[in-house]
Amino acid sequence: MQSTEPTQSSGNAILTLLEPLAPEWVPGWLVGLTAIGVSVGIVTGMIALIAMFSVWLERKVSAHIQCRYGPMYPGGWHGWAVVLADGLKLIMKEDMVPKGADRVLFVLAPALVLASIFGAMAAFPFAPGFYFARMDLGIFMILAITSTTTIGVVMAGWASNSKWSLFGAMREAAQVVAYEIPLGISLMVPLMTLGTFSLLEASEAQAGGFGIFRWAIFQNPVCIPAFIIFWIAALAETKRAPFDLPEAESELVAGFMTEYSGIRWSFFFMEEYAAMFLMSVVAAVFFFGGFESPATWILRANGVEGGIVFGLVCAVTIVLKAFFGVFLMMWLRWTLPRVRIDQVMTMGYKYLTPLALLLVLLAGVWQTVAVAIEN
Amino acid sequence: MDFAAIHDHLKAIGAPGLLGADEPRPADKKAKDPGRSGDPYLLIDCARIVDFLLVCRDDPKLSFEILADITASDPAADDEHFWVLLNLLSIEHKHRLALKGLLPKANPVLPSATKVYRAAQWNERECAEMYGITFEGHPDPRNILLPDDWVGYPLRKDYEFPKEYHGISCE
Amino acid sequence: MTIEETGQKGSIQLGTESRILPSGEREFMLDVATSDIELNMGPQHPATHGVMRLLIRTDGELVTGVQPHLGFLHRCAEKIGENVEWLQYLPYTDRYDYLAAMNNNLGYSLAVEKLMTGLEIPQRATHLRTICAELNRIASHLIAFGTYGLDIGAFTPFFYAFREREWIQALFEKICGARLTYSYIRIGGVFNDSPPGWLQEVERFCDVFEAKWQEYYDLLILNHIFVKRTANVGVIPPAMARDFALTGPMLRASGIDFDLRRDMPYMDYGEIYEAGAFQIPLGSGEKGTVGDCWDRIYVRMKEMIESLGIVRWCLGSIEDGPVIGDIPKVLRVPNGECYVGIENPRGELGHYLHSDGGKIAIRCRVRGPSFVNLAVLEDIMPGTLLGDSIAIVGSIDIVIGETDR
Repeated sequence: MQSTEPTQSSGNAILTLLEPLAPEWVPGWLVGLTAIGVSVGIVTGMIALIAMFSVWLERKVSAHIQCRYGPMYPGGWHGWAVVLADGLKLIMKEDMVPKGADRVLFVLAPALVLASIFGAMAAFPFAPGFYFARMDLGIFMILAITSTTTIGVVMAGWASNSKWSLFGAMREAAQVVAYEIPLGISLMVPLMTLGTFSLLEASEAQAGGFGIFRWAIFQNPVCIPAFIIFWIAALAETKRAPFDLPEAESELVAGFMTEYSGIRWSFFFMEEYAAMFLMSVVAAVFFFGGFESPATWILRANGVEGGIVFGLVCAVTIVLKAFFGVFLMMWLRWTLPRVRIDQVMTMGYKYLTPLALLLVLLAGVWQTVAVAIEN
Repeated sequence: MDFAAIHDHLKAIGAPGLLGADEPRPADKKAKDPGRSGDPYLLIDCARIVDFLLVCRDDPKLSFEILADITASDPAADDEHFWVLLNLLSIEHKHRLALKGLLPKANPVLPSATKVYRAAQWNERECAEMYGITFEGHPDPRNILLPDDWVGYPLRKDYEFPKEYHGISCE
Repeated sequence: MTIEETGQKGSIQLGTESRILPSGEREFMLDVATSDIELNMGPQHPATHGVMRLLIRTDGELVTGVQPHLGFLHRCAEKIGENVEWLQYLPYTDRYDYLAAMNNNLGYSLAVEKLMTGLEIPQRATHLRTICAELNRIASHLIAFGTYGLDIGAFTPFFYAFREREWIQALFEKICGARLTYSYIRIGGVFNDSPPGWLQEVERFCDVFEAKWQEYYDLLILNHIFVKRTANVGVIPPAMARDFALTGPMLRASGIDFDLRRDMPYMDYGEIYEAGAFQIPLGSGEKGTVGDCWDRIYVRMKEMIESLGIVRWCLGSIEDGPVIGDIPKVLRVPNGECYVGIENPRGELGHYLHSDGGKIAIRCRVRGPSFVNLAVLEDIMPGTLLGDSIAIVGSIDIVIGETDR
């Protein structure tokens, strides 16, 4: 289900698939529209699946860290159907809007939060031939769109007409603003190394070297501290512990989500897991080779540069890498205590930002030196 | 120091409000006295309690830095006095002192010990709401365990439970 | 203009101050009045350790005032003490500090026994009492440790703490049939002799727990984020600790070396201390200031290990014999009044009993350490951030059952 090579058009792979299939009497714009519709459907389904799997994974990971089993009964094998059961329960809950809440904002907030993650998923590169939108500024778009989740969170906190929610929202706004900067600046290091904003090209630039040794962290060792800074900033962006203040369970009951229940609450949670997945994808693509792995190296060595098998291997690789990142985030959540808000801000502004800037300088120096040595 | 030594020392320094002591004694069948077991108590004058506590706290041989407990008791419905009971603890000398003051039920007012020990603050609030004792000079005389609109003083012996509270039956 | 003068809160008000601009116009200064938020950390809240209401006034995240409201769990223990017989009152004592029920029973029993002059407590009973009281101290401190981690945001140590506590509760279930409210330590001794194999299992527990303790200490107490959240937070200087009559770990965390078990010993504790079986851990400001939240949790953690020493000593010197003295079914306590204070995991648990020689007490006063310790909150919470207030409330380690009785 992909084209034979990256085309010059910036349409997506589904469009190129549908075009030859469309009957002649169908106008061109309708085919395009259908392609967009199908892509959106696939993205929605993907996010739903990712969120569902992440819920199950979180419950199992947290359980085993806490020396217990977690879900075991629903569905038989290790409770895999517990997510379906949860989803069904949440859908059946009463749709409550608290008295005095700003109804429009209250309803809009979860939708906005989920929509921004949906939008960011458009840049997700499964394989060189299979993508939703070929964007030359992929990472830029991702960073921009994921920032809009903050608006949704602040809306949720304000519209809930509860002081505790307001606290959560204010903390979220402060935290996200503080950590956007190190997030972006630390990403500049691999951007310099790989030379491109596009996620597809970034992955491809890490090909070779047995599928491992051309990863960005090996191409430019400054990428390693840059990854650490990126990871910390990503934890803060996705509101995961140790930065889960906006949602601080033991302090603010549930922070900005306190007044939400049922399917609206589950939107917030889908957004959280989708954002975790997204940040892991970005980390995988820019630091750890994207869809390059020993398997793809072997395939490339045997001349297989496209086709279904190659695409599948790439897709599996990147999804596995992303889920390892998600697992790492969960592991950190269940181990570390929460950082206080003023300590969060101090760390973001006073330590991570200057450090990130320094790393960019060092990365630039390394790149110049490395290029000079090569020539 | 044991109780006798503390009592003698207080008498020697002329502690204000010291009225006497109430020590345990064995039973005496001839005098029809059931005896008394337990702790010895110093009887003090409730009106001079603040000065007395200041002496207890500041005297270097006594140095009762901790007010372990301040409470009250209603010995019997027909008794005309409340008992105000204090228990002081010294960390430095590792001794305890129990104090008892008699407070007339007709006018249960005495100065608050919060000037001497901050620990008295909450305990006095509890005494006040449970017995109806007024502690003069208390910085925050609100009910602490009972709701603000509770009627009556529960720990008095002649207290009658209300039939209902805000429409909830108490039968 | 101040807020009070405007009489309004939270509104943008045109002030009276003005100045003349170069153009000749008069420009009024806006008087933006911000007011503090009143937050209700209500009876139901994950971090208040029970049903307690804290009215917090905050300026953003900075707490400017706090007013605790108690009484949600007031069950009139003292009034009941004046209406039931001496032996019947024992189950009520379980229920004030329900996490350390053995110690409550012990406090009450010791107070009654002090009034009953001439009563002999068998040696085996004293040892069993000590073992149970110390095991319960470990269980109570485990909860303090686990729930404190939960308050700070570390969700996992809670499960580990409860796993160890399950073992202790299983031990208690074997000896007296109950897991939480035991009524095991009774007037005159203990209720039941230990079943065969129980003492060996206690010994095994001690060995296993010591290794696990080190893990929990390294995982949470020495965790850098935990230290940053709790060091230098909620500092209680020694003078304030004395003034507020704090007792127990709160007093020792402020550096004051006082423990009722060692300094005013009851039961066998004097002998146990002479034998060197336990020490008294003190807060020393290792990670911050003396008397901060870290010191308090540190003292509680260390006390768990010291309790193991006491338990081991008792296991080593316990002998066979009767476990309860000769107590009639309807007990008449001789005329008298006394106050007995023991070292509860949370502080000094005091019972003042007044008997007139009858079946029922005249006055049964319970001095709950949580109640007295909580008073310090009104003084140390203002001036901290909201996250710190949670840390402070957790470090006082209150049980609302004891606060309200």
